[in-house]
Amino acid sequence: MRRLLGGVTLVGLLTGLVMGFGIAPRETTQGNVQRIMYLHVPSVWVAYLAFGVVLVASIAYLVRRAESADRLAHASAEVGVLFTGLTIATGSIWGKPTWGTWWTWDARLTSVSILFVMYLGYLLLRGMIDDRERGARFAAVLGIVAAFNIPLVHFSVYWWRTLHQPPSLMKPGPGTMPGIIVAALLVNFAAFTLLYVYFVTRRARLLRLEAEAEG
Amino acid sequence: MPDNWGFVLAAYGLAAVVLVAYWRFLSRREKELEDATAIRHDLRQPSPKPASERPSP
Repeated sequence: MRRLLGGVTLVGLLTGLVMGFGIAPRETTQGNVQRIMYLHVPSVWVAYLAFGVVLVASIAYLVRRAESADRLAHASAEVGVLFTGLTIATGSIWGKPTWGTWWTWDARLTSVSILFVMYLGYLLLRGMIDDRERGARFAAVLGIVAAFNIPLVHFSVYWWRTLHQPPSLMKPGPGTMPGIIVAALLVNFAAFTLLYVYFVTRRARLLRLEAEAEG
Repeated sequence: MPDNWGFVLAAYGLAAVVLVAYWRFLSRREKELEDATAIRHDLRQPSPKPASERPSP
Protein backbone atom coordinates (compact mmCIF):
# COMPACT_ATOMS: atom_id res chain seq x y z
CA MET A 1 0.00 0.00 0.00
CA ARG A 2 2.82 2.36 0.96
CA ARG A 3 4.72 1.56 -2.23
CA LEU A 4 1.56 2.19 -4.26
CA LEU A 5 1.06 5.56 -2.59
CA GLY A 6 4.72 6.39 -3.21
CA GLY A 7 4.39 5.44 -6.88
CA VAL A 8 1.20 7.46 -7.37
CA THR A 9 2.84 10.44 -5.63
CA LEU A 10 5.88 10.24 -7.90
CA VAL A 11 3.66 10.09 -11.00
CA GLY A 12 1.69 13.07 -9.64
CA LEU A 13 4.86 15.12 -9.06
CA LEU A 14 6.19 14.32 -12.55
CA THR A 15 2.82 15.25 -14.06
CA GLY A 16 2.95 18.50 -12.09
CA LEU A 17 6.39 19.27 -13.55
CA VAL A 18 5.15 18.55 -17.09
CA MET A 19 2.11 20.80 -16.51
CA GLY A 20 4.21 23.58 -14.97
CA PHE A 21 7.01 23.58 -17.53
CA GLY A 22 5.52 22.03 -20.65
CA ILE A 23 1.82 22.86 -20.77
CA ALA A 24 1.36 26.12 -18.85
CA PRO A 25 2.37 29.15 -20.93
CA ARG A 26 5.09 31.69 -20.15
CA GLU A 27 3.59 34.45 -18.04
CA THR A 28 3.67 37.79 -19.90
CA THR A 29 4.67 40.11 -17.03
CA GLN A 30 7.14 38.04 -15.03
CA GLY A 31 8.40 35.66 -17.71
CA ASN A 32 9.41 32.11 -16.89
CA VAL A 33 10.38 32.92 -13.31
CA GLN A 34 6.63 32.80 -12.55
CA ARG A 35 6.90 28.99 -12.87
CA ILE A 36 8.22 29.00 -9.28
CA MET A 37 4.54 29.49 -8.38
CA TYR A 38 3.84 25.79 -9.17
CA LEU A 39 6.21 24.91 -6.34
CA HIS A 40 5.73 27.81 -3.92
CA VAL A 41 1.92 27.87 -3.71
CA PRO A 42 1.39 24.08 -3.29
CA SER A 43 4.10 24.16 -0.59
CA VAL A 44 2.21 26.72 1.46
CA TRP A 45 -1.03 24.76 0.89
CA VAL A 46 0.64 21.66 2.38
CA ALA A 47 1.90 23.76 5.31
CA TYR A 48 -1.66 24.98 6.03
CA LEU A 49 -3.01 21.43 5.67
CA ALA A 50 -0.31 19.98 7.93
CA PHE A 51 -0.88 22.50 10.71
CA GLY A 52 -4.64 22.07 10.38
CA VAL A 53 -4.15 18.34 10.93
CA VAL A 54 -1.93 19.14 13.95
CA LEU A 55 -4.82 21.20 15.38
CA VAL A 56 -7.42 18.42 14.89
CA ALA A 57 -5.10 15.64 16.11
CA SER A 58 -4.07 17.70 19.16
CA ILE A 59 -7.71 18.23 20.15
CA ALA A 60 -8.35 14.50 19.60
CA TYR A 61 -5.37 13.63 21.80
CA LEU A 62 -6.50 15.89 24.65
CA VAL A 63 -10.03 14.46 24.49
CA ARG A 64 -9.27 10.75 24.00
CA ARG A 65 -5.58 10.42 25.01
CA ALA A 66 -5.01 8.20 21.99
CA GLU A 67 -1.30 7.81 21.21
CA SER A 68 -2.10 7.47 17.50
CA ALA A 69 -3.52 11.03 17.52
CA ASP A 70 -0.35 12.29 19.20
CA ARG A 71 1.83 10.51 16.63
CA LEU A 72 -0.25 12.00 13.79
CA ALA A 73 0.16 15.51 15.26
CA HIS A 74 3.91 15.02 15.67
CA ALA A 75 4.41 13.64 12.13
CA SER A 76 2.20 16.32 10.58
CA ALA A 77 4.02 19.13 12.42
CA GLU A 78 7.38 17.86 11.19
CA VAL A 79 6.20 17.68 7.57
CA GLY A 80 4.53 21.10 7.97
CA VAL A 81 7.80 22.65 9.14
CA LEU A 82 9.56 21.10 6.15
CA PHE A 83 7.08 22.62 3.69
CA THR A 84 6.95 25.99 5.48
CA GLY A 85 10.73 26.16 5.16
CA LEU A 86 10.40 25.35 1.46
CA THR A 87 7.72 28.03 1.09
CA ILE A 88 9.97 30.67 2.66
CA ALA A 89 13.03 29.62 0.63
CA THR A 90 11.25 29.41 -2.74
CA GLY A 91 9.41 32.68 -2.02
CA SER A 92 12.72 34.36 -1.32
CA ILE A 93 14.21 33.01 -4.57
CA TRP A 94 11.13 34.23 -6.45
CA GLY A 95 11.23 37.60 -4.67
CA LYS A 96 14.72 38.56 -5.79
CA PRO A 97 14.02 38.89 -9.55
CA THR A 98 10.44 40.20 -9.13
CA TRP A 99 10.70 42.53 -6.09
CA GLY A 100 14.43 43.18 -6.27
CA THR A 101 15.09 41.82 -2.78
CA TRP A 102 15.55 38.40 -1.16
CA TRP A 103 13.67 39.44 1.95
CA THR A 104 11.49 42.21 3.35
CA TRP A 105 9.68 42.42 6.68
CA ASP A 106 6.21 42.75 5.21
CA ALA A 107 3.15 41.24 6.89
CA ARG A 108 2.96 37.99 4.87
CA LEU A 109 6.66 37.16 5.11
CA THR A 110 6.82 38.06 8.79
CA SER A 111 3.69 36.10 9.74
CA VAL A 112 4.80 32.99 7.84
CA SER A 113 8.21 33.23 9.56
CA ILE A 114 6.46 33.37 12.94
CA LEU A 115 4.44 30.29 11.91
CA PHE A 116 7.67 28.47 11.01
CA VAL A 117 9.35 29.38 14.31
CA MET A 118 6.28 28.39 16.36
CA TYR A 119 6.13 24.88 14.89
CA LEU A 120 9.90 24.55 15.12
CA GLY A 121 9.39 25.35 18.82
CA TYR A 122 6.65 22.70 18.92
CA LEU A 123 9.11 20.07 17.68
CA LEU A 124 11.84 21.26 20.08
CA LEU A 125 9.37 21.13 22.99
CA ARG A 126 8.58 17.50 22.17
CA GLY A 127 12.27 16.67 22.16
CA MET A 128 12.97 18.44 25.46
CA ILE A 129 10.49 16.62 27.72
CA ASP A 130 11.49 13.08 28.71
CA ASP A 131 8.07 12.02 30.04
CA ARG A 132 6.27 11.03 26.81
CA GLU A 133 2.73 11.59 28.10
CA ARG A 134 3.58 15.01 29.56
CA GLY A 135 5.41 16.04 26.39
CA ALA A 136 2.44 14.98 24.27
CA ARG A 137 0.04 16.99 26.46
CA PHE A 138 2.14 20.19 26.32
CA ALA A 139 2.69 19.76 22.58
CA ALA A 140 -1.06 19.33 22.01
CA VAL A 141 -1.76 22.64 23.78
CA LEU A 142 0.92 24.39 21.71
CA GLY A 143 -0.41 22.71 18.54
CA ILE A 144 -3.83 24.25 19.21
CA VAL A 145 -2.52 27.72 20.12
CA ALA A 146 -0.12 27.89 17.14
CA ALA A 147 -2.95 27.12 14.69
CA PHE A 148 -4.42 30.58 15.35
CA ASN A 149 -1.52 31.91 13.28
CA ILE A 150 -2.75 30.15 10.09
CA PRO A 151 -5.61 32.62 9.31
CA LEU A 152 -3.27 35.46 10.28
CA VAL A 153 -0.82 34.33 7.59
CA HIS A 154 -3.50 33.81 4.96
CA PHE A 155 -5.38 37.08 5.51
CA SER A 156 -2.32 39.23 6.26
CA VAL A 157 -2.30 40.41 2.62
CA TYR A 158 -5.81 41.84 3.11
CA TRP A 159 -5.38 43.21 6.63
CA TRP A 160 -2.08 45.04 6.05
CA ARG A 161 -0.46 46.78 3.10
CA THR A 162 2.08 44.28 1.80
CA LEU A 163 4.50 43.73 -1.05
CA HIS A 164 3.17 40.18 -1.38
CA GLN A 165 0.31 39.77 -3.82
CA PRO A 166 -3.14 38.63 -2.56
CA PRO A 167 -4.09 34.94 -3.02
CA SER A 168 -4.85 33.95 -6.62
CA LEU A 169 -6.73 30.71 -5.86
CA MET A 170 -7.63 30.31 -2.19
CA LYS A 171 -10.00 33.30 -2.13
CA PRO A 172 -13.72 33.95 -2.57
CA GLY A 173 -15.06 35.14 -5.92
CA PRO A 174 -14.17 34.41 -9.54
CA GLY A 175 -10.55 33.66 -10.43
CA THR A 176 -8.42 35.98 -12.53
CA MET A 177 -5.89 33.43 -13.84
CA PRO A 178 -6.15 31.68 -17.22
CA GLY A 179 -7.64 28.18 -17.04
CA ILE A 180 -4.47 26.36 -18.11
CA ILE A 181 -2.43 28.00 -15.33
CA VAL A 182 -5.16 27.09 -12.81
CA ALA A 183 -5.12 23.48 -14.12
CA ALA A 184 -1.32 23.25 -13.76
CA LEU A 185 -1.56 24.66 -10.26
CA LEU A 186 -4.35 22.22 -9.28
CA VAL A 187 -2.33 19.21 -10.52
CA ASN A 188 0.57 20.37 -8.36
CA PHE A 189 -1.79 20.90 -5.40
CA ALA A 190 -2.95 17.28 -5.76
CA ALA A 191 0.61 15.95 -6.14
CA PHE A 192 1.86 17.85 -3.09
CA THR A 193 -1.14 16.67 -1.06
CA LEU A 194 -0.26 13.08 -1.96
CA LEU A 195 3.36 13.76 -0.98
CA TYR A 196 2.12 15.10 2.36
CA VAL A 197 0.03 11.96 2.98
CA TYR A 198 2.97 9.73 1.98
CA PHE A 199 5.44 11.51 4.28
CA VAL A 200 3.05 11.69 7.24
CA THR A 201 2.03 8.01 7.10
CA ARG A 202 5.70 6.95 6.94
CA ARG A 203 6.74 9.33 9.74
CA ALA A 204 3.82 8.28 11.97
CA ARG A 205 4.78 4.61 11.48
CA LEU A 206 8.38 5.45 12.40
CA LEU A 207 7.20 7.16 15.58
CA ARG A 208 5.25 4.01 16.48
CA LEU A 209 8.31 1.82 15.88
CA GLU A 210 10.45 4.20 17.97
CA ALA A 211 7.94 4.04 20.83
CA GLU A 212 7.92 0.23 20.67
CA ALA A 213 11.73 0.12 20.64
CA GLU A 214 11.85 2.34 23.74
CA GLY A 215 9.31 0.06 25.40
CA MET B 1 11.28 41.02 -18.15
CA PRO B 2 14.16 38.51 -18.46
CA ASP B 3 13.29 34.91 -17.80
CA ASN B 4 15.70 34.36 -14.87
CA TRP B 5 15.96 30.62 -15.45
CA GLY B 6 18.73 30.48 -12.83
CA PHE B 7 16.21 31.41 -10.11
CA VAL B 8 13.74 28.81 -11.38
CA LEU B 9 16.42 26.11 -11.34
CA ALA B 10 17.59 27.19 -7.88
CA ALA B 11 14.05 26.94 -6.45
CA TYR B 12 13.27 23.53 -7.99
CA GLY B 13 16.77 22.20 -7.26
CA LEU B 14 16.56 23.22 -3.62
CA ALA B 15 13.11 21.63 -3.27
CA ALA B 16 14.34 18.40 -4.88
CA VAL B 17 17.36 18.20 -2.56
CA VAL B 18 15.28 18.87 0.58
CA LEU B 19 12.49 16.42 -0.31
CA VAL B 20 14.86 13.61 -1.36
CA ALA B 21 16.93 14.16 1.81
CA TYR B 22 13.79 13.83 3.97
CA TRP B 23 12.68 10.72 2.06
CA ARG B 24 16.14 9.16 2.57
CA PHE B 25 16.04 10.02 6.29
CA LEU B 26 12.68 8.23 6.61
CA SER B 27 13.93 5.16 4.69
CA ARG B 28 17.19 4.89 6.63
CA ARG B 29 15.54 5.30 10.05
CA GLU B 30 12.84 2.80 9.12
CA LYS B 31 15.44 0.20 8.16
CA GLU B 32 17.35 0.77 11.42
CA LEU B 33 14.22 0.31 13.50
CA GLU B 34 13.03 -2.76 11.57
CA ASP B 35 16.48 -4.37 11.98
CA ALA B 36 16.45 -3.60 15.71
CA THR B 37 12.93 -5.06 16.02
CA ALA B 38 14.03 -8.25 14.21
CA ILE B 39 17.05 -8.66 16.53
CA ARG B 40 14.86 -8.17 19.62
CA HIS B 41 12.42 -10.72 18.25
CA ASP B 42 15.23 -13.24 17.68
CA LEU B 43 16.56 -12.74 21.22
CA ARG B 44 13.15 -13.49 22.69
CA GLN B 45 12.94 -16.86 20.91
CA PRO B 46 14.12 -19.78 23.17
CA SER B 47 17.41 -21.21 21.88
CA PRO B 48 17.21 -24.85 20.63
CA LYS B 49 18.53 -27.49 23.08
CA PRO B 50 21.86 -29.20 22.24
CA ALA B 51 21.55 -32.66 20.61
CA SER B 52 22.80 -34.45 23.75
CA GLU B 53 19.89 -33.07 25.81
CA ARG B 54 17.23 -34.05 23.28
CA PRO B 55 15.31 -37.27 24.10
CA SER B 56 16.39 -40.15 21.86
CA PRO B 57 13.64 -41.86 19.80
